[in-house]
Amino acid sequence: MDMLLELDHISKIYGDLHAVDDLSLTVPQGEWLAIVGSSGSGKTTLMNMIGCMDTPSKGSVKLEGRKLEDLNAGQLADVRKNLIGLVFQKFYLVPHLTAVENVMVAQYYHSVVDEKQALEALEKVGLKDRAHHLPGQLSGGEQQRVCVARALINEPKLILADEPTGNLDEKNEKIVLDLFRQLHEQGTTIIVVTHDALVASCAEREIMLNHGVLVGEKWNDEKAREAYEAAGGKPASTGAKVEGAQTGETAIGFADPTKAAKTANSLSE
Amino acid sequence: MTNTGMFFRMLFSAVFRRRSRAVMAVVASLVGAATLFCLAMICIAVPQQMNEEMRAYGANLIVTPTESGADGKNGIDSAMVEHTTEMVAAKGTEKHAAYRYENVRVNAAPYVMAGIDAAEVKNLNHHWVVDGKWPSAGKVLIGRDVADAMGLEVGGRITIGYRASDNASTSAPSDEGAGSANAETEGETSNNTGSQQSANSSTSGQTSGQQTQDGRVSSDIMDTSGTEFRVSGIVDTGGSEDSIIYATNDDVAKLTGTTRGVDVIEYSAGTEDLNALVKSINAMTSMHVKAQPVTKITSSDTRIITMLQTLFWIVSLVVLVLTLVGVGTTISSIVSQRRNEIGLRKALGASSAAIGIEFYVESAMYGLIGGLLGTAIGFGLAQWLCVAVFNRSIGFNWWLAAGSVILASLVAVIASIPPVHRATRIDPAVVLREE
Repeated sequence: MDMLLELDHISKIYGDLHAVDDLSLTVPQGEWLAIVGSSGSGKTTLMNMIGCMDTPSKGSVKLEGRKLEDLNAGQLADVRKNLIGLVFQKFYLVPHLTAVENVMVAQYYHSVVDEKQALEALEKVGLKDRAHHLPGQLSGGEQQRVCVARALINEPKLILADEPTGNLDEKNEKIVLDLFRQLHEQGTTIIVVTHDALVASCAEREIMLNHGVLVGEKWNDEKAREAYEAAGGKPASTGAKVEGAQTGETAIGFADPTKAAKTANSLSE
Repeated sequence: MTNTGMFFRMLFSAVFRRRSRAVMAVVASLVGAATLFCLAMICIAVPQQMNEEMRAYGANLIVTPTESGADGKNGIDSAMVEHTTEMVAAKGTEKHAAYRYENVRVNAAPYVMAGIDAAEVKNLNHHWVVDGKWPSAGKVLIGRDVADAMGLEVGGRITIGYRASDNASTSAPSDEGAGSANAETEGETSNNTGSQQSANSSTSGQTSGQQTQDGRVSSDIMDTSGTEFRVSGIVDTGGSEDSIIYATNDDVAKLTGTTRGVDVIEYSAGTEDLNALVKSINAMTSMHVKAQPVTKITSSDTRIITMLQTLFWIVSLVVLVLTLVGVGTTISSIVSQRRNEIGLRKALGASSAAIGIEFYVESAMYGLIGGLLGTAIGFGLAQWLCVAVFNRSIGFNWWLAAGSVILASLVAVIASIPPVHRATRIDPAVVLREE
């Protein structure tokens, strides 16, 4: 099994604060990983480093075999547009562009603009009839679906989603998670940052951060775990010497975090 | 759709779907473009107006003959007057008047009489104050000094005598011409008045007029005979013209019994380079004429225009700086409001250069729209000002308008450099930083 992402003892340090503390993690191609933890646990900082938008203070990030610390700003931008699709909690759509134009922006920076393909992406997320509406004319769920369509338009190998359902109601949360499920089935690697237990439970694998330190890891899909271990994959680990840290090669289980108001039943409807 | 098409789609969306922001930027450019274009138009109109105003104070160029004929003064013949006028007209607008000077006697006192075309002189010298009418057949226009000396009034009668001997050895025609008007020519300051000149002429005439009869000297100095004219008007200029008697060319020819060329042609030339015109006339030696600029008029004109233009330049510079600050502040505000969008674009893989180009072109667009509207408004304003202040309308200057629009776009782009430069350094992580 090829490892798409390899984190080797990465840390992000702001003064005395260790936002991410000595984390090692490998993510194979096609895995759906959830990074969970409470607010301020370093999830987004970790995601920024994976997404080439921030650099670690220590350690190394390897994406598709390339060490990101060896790349300059232009090359990092190339990695972002060629390998990564981003989904944000606050959608971040360009307010003066229509839904289809927002999708086409990603094409524009990636390669060649194709309106037909952009409309197909919107159709895939169920928004073809809203393609020519401005973000202000769309609901939160619709905007997030546009964001997903924008993330998948260039067929990235890795989708990074930061709290993708954080601003959505149950119905729209289900739509978005169904979309992720489809993408996962098509072999796209998905890394979701969330503190929503339900969203995390949809992933094959979960790791938990607490104040920047890895404190747990669990698999929701045993077959995926077996395949991972058979390919030589090891549990995530941290070199941080704090109580409760997952330091060795044995995963420490954990209970799903705080927000679990929405039930799994609602997703299987 | 091509990427270029998408580029412009994003551009037009940013401009036309974010109207309130776009309007702010356009208005900032518009105000600058309107003010600068208005100033520039007035800057062009003022010298033209000044030229015309200064032309009303008489000639700025005089032409005199360089050679005398066998009888002492043949002057410039009508064909040469026409040819010289064509040369002046070829360089710009022109108005001219020709003068033939003769020494005459009134009540035995010497005076200078000028043969003129009244219409030409009237058209050239707007500053002459004439009480009564301009000369016509049998009627003369006399200077204020002549009228006062003779106690004459409009409608009165004056007897003018002509003696060929008075005009036999007059001074050189060029001196005579220079003294005929209030012309202060370059290279020589000639404040000779007609009366002074007449006096000199009279002296020589007196000498030549003395004849020996029976061993005694006989003189016609007290001879008061002559032709009677009616005084049609009295001219008051405050200058040497006040000592001259003006009659029609035909009357002067009748009085003298000879027809000859003129002694001086005065021009009000509208050319921008008067010295070049003078040189070109003087270079034609075969014409046997000498051209001289009237420095009193041209230097005043140039000095006032230079002062006004300097003032306009300073004001324009201030307006330009204010426009830069205004547009820069507006663009800076627009860019800062779009920080998240810029971060997002960078997160999507946009390079700093790509984002910079998008914002610079957008700024140029604001400048273009503001420039077009501002130029139109500036022209309207300049037109209104010129009509209200100078009582003249101005034509639309397409080159200046194109320059104004280009400058407005350029200023908008330059003003946007600092904020856009800061924007392109935005860390895309800011977009994802909020947890």
